[in-house]
Amino acid sequence: MSIQDPSSPTTWRRFRDSYFLYRLQRDRRAQICMTLFVAMMASLLLTPWLAPSNPYDLAQISLLDSELPPLWIAGSDPAHLLGTDAQGRDLLSTMLYGARVSIAIGFGAVLVQSLLGTALGLLAGYRGGVIDTLLMRMADIQLSFSTLMMAIVIGAVVKAAFGGAFYGDYGVAILILIIGLSEWPQYARTVRASVLAEKQKEYVDAARVLGFSNYRIMWRHILPNALAPIFVLSTVQIANAIMAEAALSFLGLGMPETEPSLGSLIKSGFDYLQSGSWWITLLPGLLLVALVLVINLLGDWLRDTLNPRLHRARHEDSR
Amino acid sequence: MRLKTIMLGLLVGAQLLPSMAATALADDDKGITLRVAYDTAPVSLDIQEQLSIGMLQLSHLAFDPLVRWNRDLEFEPRLATSWERLDDTTMRLHLRHGVTFHSGNAFTATDVVWTVRRLKRSPDFKAIFDPVERIEAVDDFTVDLMTRQPYPLLLNLATYIFPMDSRFYTGMSADGRDKSEIVKNGNSFASSHLSGTGPFEVVKRQPGTRTEFIRFPNYWDQHSPGNVDHLVMTPIAENATRVAALLAGDVDFISPVPFNAVQRLRHADGFELVTMPGTRITMLQLNEQRVPAFRDPRVRRAFAYAVNQSAIAERLLKGFATPAGQMSPEGYAGHVAALEPRYDLAKARKLMQEAGYAEGFSVTLMAPNNRYVNDAQTAQVALAVAAMLARINVTVEFETLPKNQYWAEYDERAADMMMMGWYSDTSDSANFFEYLTFCPDPVTGAGRYNASEYCNPQIDALVRRANLTMQPEARARLLRQAERAIHDDAPFIPLYWQNLAWASADRVEIAPVLNVMNMPYLGDVVVHPR
Repeated sequence: MSIQDPSSPTTWRRFRDSYFLYRLQRDRRAQICMTLFVAMMASLLLTPWLAPSNPYDLAQISLLDSELPPLWIAGSDPAHLLGTDAQGRDLLSTMLYGARVSIAIGFGAVLVQSLLGTALGLLAGYRGGVIDTLLMRMADIQLSFSTLMMAIVIGAVVKAAFGGAFYGDYGVAILILIIGLSEWPQYARTVRASVLAEKQKEYVDAARVLGFSNYRIMWRHILPNALAPIFVLSTVQIANAIMAEAALSFLGLGMPETEPSLGSLIKSGFDYLQSGSWWITLLPGLLLVALVLVINLLGDWLRDTLNPRLHRARHEDSR
Repeated sequence: MRLKTIMLGLLVGAQLLPSMAATALADDDKGITLRVAYDTAPVSLDIQEQLSIGMLQLSHLAFDPLVRWNRDLEFEPRLATSWERLDDTTMRLHLRHGVTFHSGNAFTATDVVWTVRRLKRSPDFKAIFDPVERIEAVDDFTVDLMTRQPYPLLLNLATYIFPMDSRFYTGMSADGRDKSEIVKNGNSFASSHLSGTGPFEVVKRQPGTRTEFIRFPNYWDQHSPGNVDHLVMTPIAENATRVAALLAGDVDFISPVPFNAVQRLRHADGFELVTMPGTRITMLQLNEQRVPAFRDPRVRRAFAYAVNQSAIAERLLKGFATPAGQMSPEGYAGHVAALEPRYDLAKARKLMQEAGYAEGFSVTLMAPNNRYVNDAQTAQVALAVAAMLARINVTVEFETLPKNQYWAEYDERAADMMMMGWYSDTSDSANFFEYLTFCPDPVTGAGRYNASEYCNPQIDALVRRANLTMQPEARARLLRQAERAIHDDAPFIPLYWQNLAWASADRVEIAPVLNVMNMPYLGDVVVHPR
């Protein structure tokens, strides 16, 4: 029985026999989470067809429709299932589009973090010495700041250097970079630890004896064996990145008002909480919680699945 | 130019931690106590050190002006009992007899002369007092104010003259410095000692956290209904904290009330909320140097027709603003009742078509996004305007910035449309024109905040003529004419006058002492014992 990488395409047969599927079939919680996750992803992919209106098209929104309550409350408009926000945007559509932005930033940021962190961690772990010390002290220094603070600093510098208009136009890309750059040490440390363990093993010595280049040994021999923790870490990090984006947007450093993410939606509704329009903040908030929870639970399950040793230990010590 | 100093005051205030030291002082200790929480603390006790709303509020507590505005925006005699014009440039003011300063000195014409001369030296006030050429005491209770040119707003200026105790502030202090010197943010004699004629004496002051006053026993105004014996001022910069302090009974009176707490306070038992249409106009200026299309008055008018001010005021600001169709609020000389908000989408589209822009174009818009107090929601307002302009096919790329960054961009005229809010320093229409629509002139400072970069010498001439017209009716006619002309030319989109709000425990009768100048006359406030 081999551990399969769930994201790389293998033949159907190998997938059907995999431990991954075996575990999934026997875990009700994982099934529910997986279903929800797939449903969410599908609806976000199909948003332009599913959403009742396009909240980015300003000509479609009217201030006179503002703050309509959701369907189950008196005074609602059947055209707006979950009501409207302060600008008169359909809340369901805005949430769907907002979640798309949040997810895109989450995945994008994790891609940046993992590429950067893996490369640096691999280098540090394999080479050791001065390079290792230098890179790991850099990581330590960066970890001693809160990532949110790092992100705020980077965001402020970008804003000052390129101007707010630029920030508005490339909001998604900039947020991906900001969150990516401020979280790479997580990956670097994890990868370095795995590499240090793998480096001692005979197959690495064998590869070295065969005369393979360092580059080849690092990427083709050690890395595949250090991948499992990266996948587990990634699920946690996607959820973290979505939260970081929401926090930044809530602080006004994230997505502009015209293209709200879940975080900026929560923020813009916050002002109306006291005037009774709770749905503008609460509904996107619930969606954010659901999204992050599902991803976290899936990540948790994946960690157990990919690490049988941890699975056995789980009953005695949950972490 | 009160705007900048108000911002400065807010910045200073924001750094002060809200001190909740205003703990309960039982009424029976020293008679009736009123605990007040404003958003900022007065930066100094020298009322001529800074021109800001906070300092003017202090001035009304510890001093009295020569005249003050009443609620109907008329002049009410205070230390000046009557006045007359001797000629176009001279006004004679008759002063009140039997007034004493907190120090015990008697109030005479010498004090008024001394005060005005000091105002003309004060960095913050000298611009406002520039029209005054000199002031002379005729006898002990009569002074003559002389201006360089005929100047119709002398009485408006007199609301800024709070006579100071000239004998108290003359001489050398213990550390050998002139007692009358004005030091900005420094340590002068006047910044820590105070002697005025006002209803309250300062008894204790912890700068930035707490100021305590007691009723001045020899206060001249025996007709004042005010019955507060002891007044405690505690600044609370954080909006939610200020409201919570009132609701919890830690303070009796708060100002300003944040816009999102208005509904809550309106329905809360045991509290009184007073709102008033404000006089601060918020507008969007259309920059015709940056956008050639804005040089066509039809395009500017189309923009003005496309924006639905009532929807913004009603829906977005929850009725907490008065939709504006002009700059001058009601009660101002230049206010034209007929100029109502002119939302008409069909007309806007037609005008765009006539101007050859049926396909629309793209513009940039900048607005401040600080969500403090009653300036709230400017970013939301900007977004709503963008949506309204989308209906005439105009694409708005908009950007919102924190206030302190915004003003730097504003001075650069960095966007095609910029948001501006303006109080008239003199409570007069001419001030709006002078700063917001006059042809920009860096030497005289005219059009300093004209980000429309609009220039119409005819309208400027009308306002200049009004400023030399002494006869109020004729002057108002000229100002109304100017207001109409600028309305037709539409170099900006007027949006709304933000309302003002105050709240108190309901045993405090605040309504009679409040006014649109946002200077509560707390000397006259009546508080019912618990």
